[in-house]
Amino acid sequence: MSEAILVGDDLTKTFDNLTVVKRASIAVGDGEFVSLVGKSGCGKTTLLSLLSGLERPTSGRVTIAGQEISGASEDDLALFRRQNVGFIFQSFNLIPTLCAWENTALPLFPIRMTEAARRRRAAELLDRMELGHRLEHLPAALSGGEKQRVAIARALINNPKIVFADEPTGNLDTATGDAIMAILNRLHREAGMTLLMVTHNAELAKTADRVVRMQDGAVLS
Amino acid sequence: MNLRYVFQELTRRRRRTVIAVIGLSIGIALLVILNALSLAYHEAARAPLKEIGADITVQRPGNVPEEMVGAVFPCSAVTIRRDEIDRIEKVSGVRGMGTALLLWVFDPNRAWIVLGIEPENPVGPSILRNFVKEGRYFAAGKPEALVEAAYARQFGIRPGDSVSIAGRSFPVVGLVDASHAPKIAVANLYLPLPEAQAIAAASKPLQSVSPFAVGDVNLLFIKADPEKITSVASALKGVLGQKTAIATPDSFLKLLGSFFALSDKFTLAASLIAILIAVLIAFKTMAGNVAERTREIGVLKAVGWTQRNVILQLLAESVVQCLIAGILGLLIAFVAAFALGFMTVNIPIPWEMSPTPHFLPGGGAPFYKTLRLPVHIPISLALFAVLLSAVIGGLTGALLGRHISKIKPSEVLRHE
Repeated sequence: MSEAILVGDDLTKTFDNLTVVKRASIAVGDGEFVSLVGKSGCGKTTLLSLLSGLERPTSGRVTIAGQEISGASEDDLALFRRQNVGFIFQSFNLIPTLCAWENTALPLFPIRMTEAARRRRAAELLDRMELGHRLEHLPAALSGGEKQRVAIARALINNPKIVFADEPTGNLDTATGDAIMAILNRLHREAGMTLLMVTHNAELAKTADRVVRMQDGAVLS
Repeated sequence: MNLRYVFQELTRRRRRTVIAVIGLSIGIALLVILNALSLAYHEAARAPLKEIGADITVQRPGNVPEEMVGAVFPCSAVTIRRDEIDRIEKVSGVRGMGTALLLWVFDPNRAWIVLGIEPENPVGPSILRNFVKEGRYFAAGKPEALVEAAYARQFGIRPGDSVSIAGRSFPVVGLVDASHAPKIAVANLYLPLPEAQAIAAASKPLQSVSPFAVGDVNLLFIKADPEKITSVASALKGVLGQKTAIATPDSFLKLLGSFFALSDKFTLAASLIAILIAVLIAFKTMAGNVAERTREIGVLKAVGWTQRNVILQLLAESVVQCLIAGILGLLIAFVAAFALGFMTVNIPIPWEMSPTPHFLPGGGAPFYKTLRLPVHIPISLALFAVLLSAVIGGLTGALLGRHISKIKPSEVLRHE
């Protein structure tokens, strides 16, 4: 494994006396593609939230690109995510009132830059996702696969150090899911994108460089 | 805050935006039109006095003339002495004063209502110069007469004729169309004040009821600081006695009837209700909007929006929506004000200000100043309405934005 860009050390997360993640440790190398697999309810998504700074651990430490984020405030975490992290969700989570390029540029909205620059950057990424002809379309006018490709473009717009994907093909049919995985693999291989993907699909997990298994909140391997 | 996002939210959730804007604009329109109506009634009540350049008129009631011979005072207006006038001029808030002398003159074959006026004083009946329909207005310092046109027609009087009043002869230099003149200043014959004072001073029947010296008058027209009208009116009673008849815009407003006498309180209460409705509509709409968008806001935070970014975004949406509603409400109010401007209102003139003796035809009958309701929306009221809309939007957006921006993205995104 190359130098670790993400380190989760001895992470525990408890909600109302229910411990969902138990002393989990994980490291992801720069440019590595890691799959986090396990049955539903085993704590994969919670661990992903802890590692990405969406959630603060009850105990343990998270370091991304050498910066510890476990104790950061909500706003500091938000700023950290804006600069370092990309997200791909199972349900796409596009804003229904914004068109494809606007959804892609969403992380750039709070940043002081011209609208033309935002649009140019979003259009470049959507073009790479083969959606150059759908820039002005609202999510309602896009297919599931197109929505997820917009979501991938959105995850990449801030040049993140690491992308977190939570069941990125979970809401797609097999063919479309395969196409999305092909895009993620291509981005990993050709652009050196670091990717941590949560999935319960063992076949999809195998496409990663490394598979990490979870069971009952604990990391097994 | 991203204005494109604001615009897309408002235009692409059109139905919700339209409902919110219409609801809020009705509240704002109601607020504006109620206040405009109240202002219009106040302005209408001021009209009878405003036309003669005064804010207050003063008469001192006295005894009924013992006999209707020669020049007498109406019982509603007896002598106001020169020294009393001098004291009134010094009352705080008095900015100017006009004087006049109203007489009933009974000659053997004719009765006259005579008004002695200061021809060049802008406070008082000198406005008659605008209603001369034939001949000319008074020349300075000359003992001349103006005759009311209808009266002149009835008795065949023309400019160039002479009229004899209480044994004194005056050349008629003009005819005045009093049907358009302020009701307060209506008479059959108008003389320069010194001439009328000379007639009054020489009249024994008048002197026997109310002693009169040259320099005295029986009508005062006072221009006062608008905010001191009430205190000036009170001070006048101190100088002239509690029975003095003092007409102010407020006294005319009271004569308009109980509804309008209550208009201030009614307007205040209704305005508060309108504001409350507007706030509730804005809050309910925005709360529904925010509740629907909880997940969306979770996504914004996940991709790096800070609490401040989220609050500012929701604040901008709310303010823009409420501003649109405010402007629409203002437009509705302008249309309503235009329509209401076609209404007429009758301002009753108090009997004591009627110059016509009750025993003459038309005397004693109630008479009114009829005018179109002067409904207009002052710029200050319009600005207040728009500003209020922005404040409602700002408060609503800030309050709800502050609440919703605290959500943790992991909490709303966890349950996929």
